Amino acid sequence: MGTITRGIKNAFRNNLRSFSIVLILSIAIGMALVMLMSYRAVQNKIESVKNNIGNFITVAPAGIRGFEGGGSLLNSDDVSKISQIEAVTKTAKTLMDHLATDKTNLQAPTEAGNFGQRQRMQSGATNQTTNHAFVMPVMVSATDDLSVLSSLNVSKLDITSGEKFDATTEDNVALIGSSLATKNNLSVSSTFQAYGQDIKVVGVFDAGTEFSNAQAFMPLKTLQKLSGQNDQINSVVVQVSSIDKMSDVTANIEKALGDKADVTSSQDTSNQAIEPLENIKTISLYSLIGSLIAGAVILFLTMTMIVRERRREIGVLKAIGSSNAGIVTQFSSEALVLTLLGSAVGIILGAILSNPILNVLVSNNSSVPTPGAGGHSMMMRMGAGVAAGAQGTLQNLSANVGVDIILYGLGVAILIAIIGSAIPAFVISKVRPAEVLRSE
Amino acid sequence: MLKVKNISKQFVSGDTTVKAVNDISLSVPEGTFATIIGKSGSGKSTLLALLGALDKPTQGQITVDDKDITKMGDRHLISYRRDSIGFVFQSYNLVPNLTALENVMLPMEFAGLKTDKQKKRALELLKIVGLDDQKAGRRPARLSGGEGQRVAIARALANKPRLILADEPTGNLDSQTGKVIVDLLKKLAKEEKTTIIAVTHDESIAAASELTFRLKDGKLIK
Repeated sequence: MGTITRGIKNAFRNNLRSFSIVLILSIAIGMALVMLMSYRAVQNKIESVKNNIGNFITVAPAGIRGFEGGGSLLNSDDVSKISQIEAVTKTAKTLMDHLATDKTNLQAPTEAGNFGQRQRMQSGATNQTTNHAFVMPVMVSATDDLSVLSSLNVSKLDITSGEKFDATTEDNVALIGSSLATKNNLSVSSTFQAYGQDIKVVGVFDAGTEFSNAQAFMPLKTLQKLSGQNDQINSVVVQVSSIDKMSDVTANIEKALGDKADVTSSQDTSNQAIEPLENIKTISLYSLIGSLIAGAVILFLTMTMIVRERRREIGVLKAIGSSNAGIVTQFSSEALVLTLLGSAVGIILGAILSNPILNVLVSNNSSVPTPGAGGHSMMMRMGAGVAAGAQGTLQNLSANVGVDIILYGLGVAILIAIIGSAIPAFVISKVRPAEVLRSE
Repeated sequence: MLKVKNISKQFVSGDTTVKAVNDISLSVPEGTFATIIGKSGSGKSTLLALLGALDKPTQGQITVDDKDITKMGDRHLISYRRDSIGFVFQSYNLVPNLTALENVMLPMEFAGLKTDKQKKRALELLKIVGLDDQKAGRRPARLSGGEGQRVAIARALANKPRLILADEPTGNLDSQTGKVIVDLLKKLAKEEKTTIIAVTHDESIAAASELTFRLKDGKLIK
């Protein structure tokens, strides 16, 4: 029987005690693995959120407040200054307008409701519409780049019929939202009236929200021409080459445009969206360290107790020719067996408890972040949307047990065994064999 | 074989210095069954610990086969204890979760002997001390006191030591079993040419030995 075999055998010398130690260790190791899985799941989600939110900066006229006025619109010179800034890879220009009933034959699919009527009255418009119910206008947005969805304030743009238009032309064409199409019985190739001209429907889209699906989208130049706002731009969405350069580019845009524009970075939204994730990550990390320490302390106390109990046996082994290294190896093997058994049970516990515990962490740290500051109401809406998307992904966090986690578990067990055995091993080395005779 | 020259061992306890062994010199020839006799606290166990290199003397010299064990480093002391000394303790001190056979195999394992050779010699030794194969498979808790001490003697013989040191080997046994153990030790001294030094306070064991050293207050009185 070798030293290691004897150590393994010793681990089962007292079954009840071994069972208790393994149980307690398994809880500590299981908790450490749960926290490791949570940490990794959250880390991956943070990366995912950062990638999803993207590296965009929104530039809007300073002080503008939706369609309630304020500020002067941007123009192509402003965009030119932005394009020249280092690390700017793309700009997408946007213009928006209201199509009230005197400008179009379209009917908005959304009723004004109590909120709309109240807002209208508070805006002072009641003087002209005393006896008329307020009718919601149809909103039309225009862009020169349909690939930059945030320029249209949508997170997706599924074409349910027809096709996209060429955003660089000034053709009288439009994409219309599915709700708007249904309300006005429009389909691909239908026409509607706007600004006194016929506009052809080239496609119907689903952007995922009732608000977005009540809109119409046009090429930028078309809307500028029809609405008489040549060279006028509501906002510019700026794509930056990497997330790391967002702060620099934001600062350079502010410097280039001065007080004329409000600059909102998606990094702000990103930071707010990942803040609860960072909290969970921190809690996971500290809990992981705490669990590891707890495991090591449990094993340390156990091994210290065992070494004290077997002090005479250690003396006898030394007296009959065992070296310190041999005895330390024997006790370390015993500690390792206990921790490996604890790890095996801990991995099972971790697999069972990881998602429930992660859910508890998420529910205790979830709060819908406020949208980015500045810009108009649509951008606030977009900020909230992106943040809410991040919030959605927060709820979808899940921790998984993989081979790497099992390997980590074994690594943790060995680490705990080494730490837990270190001081008892030192005690072993100090036991003098003469004590055996003296204690007779 | 064994020569002790002017050894002393002091212990410091608080402000008090206790001389457990005080300037002792003695000599034991090879193959002798010797006893060290004295009352409790006379220093006999301390002397045994010094002879077995379990402790170092404060002063003096101990030579075994002309090797001065008081000047050996830790590594040499381990091999000296393993290869040249066999210990028999009053409470047997067998490892409780190992069988009698495995207990006897232990010193041979420490010496690096192959497992099959360990097992063969352990079974032979158990037979010499009067234990059959059935008893060899039992753990210490399932052996009587006399059987436990026989296992301890077999373990002490495992690496064919030149010197066996026994600390009150019959202290936990009834007089009849104690006599059997003493006879066994005497027989081994003759047949295996092993020097045996037993510490005891039992005059009958001292009378049965070939050489007796009497200790009182740490000093040799005869």
